[in-house]
Amino acid sequence: MPKLDRGFLGVIPLILFFSIFLFFPIASILNSSLHDNNDHFTLTLYGNLFHGEFAAAFLESIKLAGASMLISGFAGGIICWSLSKTTNNTRTLINTVSGLLANTGGVPLAFMFIAAFGQEGLVVKALMKIFHYDLYSGSFQLFNFWGLITVYCFFQIPLMLIVFMPTVEHIRTEWYEANVTLGGNGIRYLRHILVPIVGPAFLSSLFLLFGNAFSAFATAAAMTNGTIPLIPLLIGNLLNGEVISGQANQSAALAMGMIVISMFLFYLFPLITRKLVKT
Amino acid sequence: MKRRVSKLAAGINIIVALFFIFPFISALEFSLRGYGGVGHTFENYFWILKQTNFSDAISTSIKVAILSSVLVLVLVVPTIVHLHLAGRKFHKFVDGLSVLPNLIPSISLAVAVQFSMPGWMQVSYYELSFFNVLIAFPFVFRSLDSALKSIPLSTLVEASDTLGGNWMKTLFFVIVPSVRSATIASVLITVALSLGEYTLATVLHFQTVPTWAVNVSQENLYGSVAISIGALFFSWVALLLLVFFPKVSKRIYRKFQGRYAL
Repeated sequence: MPKLDRGFLGVIPLILFFSIFLFFPIASILNSSLHDNNDHFTLTLYGNLFHGEFAAAFLESIKLAGASMLISGFAGGIICWSLSKTTNNTRTLINTVSGLLANTGGVPLAFMFIAAFGQEGLVVKALMKIFHYDLYSGSFQLFNFWGLITVYCFFQIPLMLIVFMPTVEHIRTEWYEANVTLGGNGIRYLRHILVPIVGPAFLSSLFLLFGNAFSAFATAAAMTNGTIPLIPLLIGNLLNGEVISGQANQSAALAMGMIVISMFLFYLFPLITRKLVKT
Repeated sequence: MKRRVSKLAAGINIIVALFFIFPFISALEFSLRGYGGVGHTFENYFWILKQTNFSDAISTSIKVAILSSVLVLVLVVPTIVHLHLAGRKFHKFVDGLSVLPNLIPSISLAVAVQFSMPGWMQVSYYELSFFNVLIAFPFVFRSLDSALKSIPLSTLVEASDTLGGNWMKTLFFVIVPSVRSATIASVLITVALSLGEYTLATVLHFQTVPTWAVNVSQENLYGSVAISIGALFFSWVALLLLVFFPKVSKRIYRKFQGRYAL
């Protein structure tokens, strides 16, 4: 018997853990998504993703994630800049709070928002009392697309701060001064110095935000009760059997669709940015 | 120019602070409202404690969190230490592995679990612990990995070996104490994730604190907001512990070491 490598032996428990609790489950939904109810091989479950309510839900999810990515990304970028002007202690505090908000968002966040912006919420009441303005007089609603985007800001902006802050801290005032000494103006500084340096990190942060918003389930589920057709909510409904039974394998195909999109963003995107940077 | 810039930055910071603080204040005020929204009392918090199924939910959550942290300590921490010693070859591989749980949307994971796990596992809420460890793995890996990089690990291990320590003693009396704060941070983040995890718990029909909060919101929205505030407060306490605990634990550890070591 060949001697087993000690280095390999020590990693076996972790590999087993990942195999049992990650790879095996994913492989089994891949398998289910390729078979119909009579266990015959089929691709129709994936075909279904491209039309009807599933396509609409995918589109709505992508729209939501995209809008949330742009708003939180640019707002977060600006906040990173303004925070970089503060002291170190403030930044440590912000970092800790951001970590808390970005990771423990979910259900509490949804309820906090209902408490602030709901019909009986404090913000709505305060606006009424101070400015005599009824927030609900227009088309504002907490449970629609824009309401959800506002809530998502509360974990998306902190995430942006976590991932993008190191890059912003890296920017030196000397660069701007050098640019001025060499006769450059603000636009030149942006075009030739800031964008090439910060751009790639900014773009990859944006895509992280996209993935995060795309797969968020808890907040949306707690807030909307499924009134907005988003893919994660749809999967949840399918599993709860609120739709015709016998569609169980369809939820596997939907779940695989989400995994594919996330993987695509994560592995393909760096390749694209690397190319962009080179040219 | 420079003064204008710093004024602008300060202005943005104040607006952002208000934007983030306001929901907290609103939620606090909301949770303290009396019956029918009149007056302010602690009624809603007492109401939560009176619910019979709440104690079940919180005990489930705590048990799941405890098993998750034990798994992190028994499985994940030793493996990551190993990656810095004999298993250096596999460091890159595990590094690549560690992003996967972040990449798989948790709803997809939930579907996968429901499809694949055997029946005897699906009936026990301890099932959640394993997946919480999986979800927490990227954070645990990153914090321990950077902590281990910053200490002279091989020197410490050699010293422990020459002094006659076996690998158990080396791990628990030499390595873990030198990355104490990262270990505590790992356990705390696992606990926080376990207590706040909603997606898997709701899809697999387990009643934990977050699922309880959502279910009960139809009945008493004030109660749901109150429990959310409670959960956030708990996370803050955990965070404070993270900052202050290292000093205390050092003292306890010294005592413990004096009694049992060698």
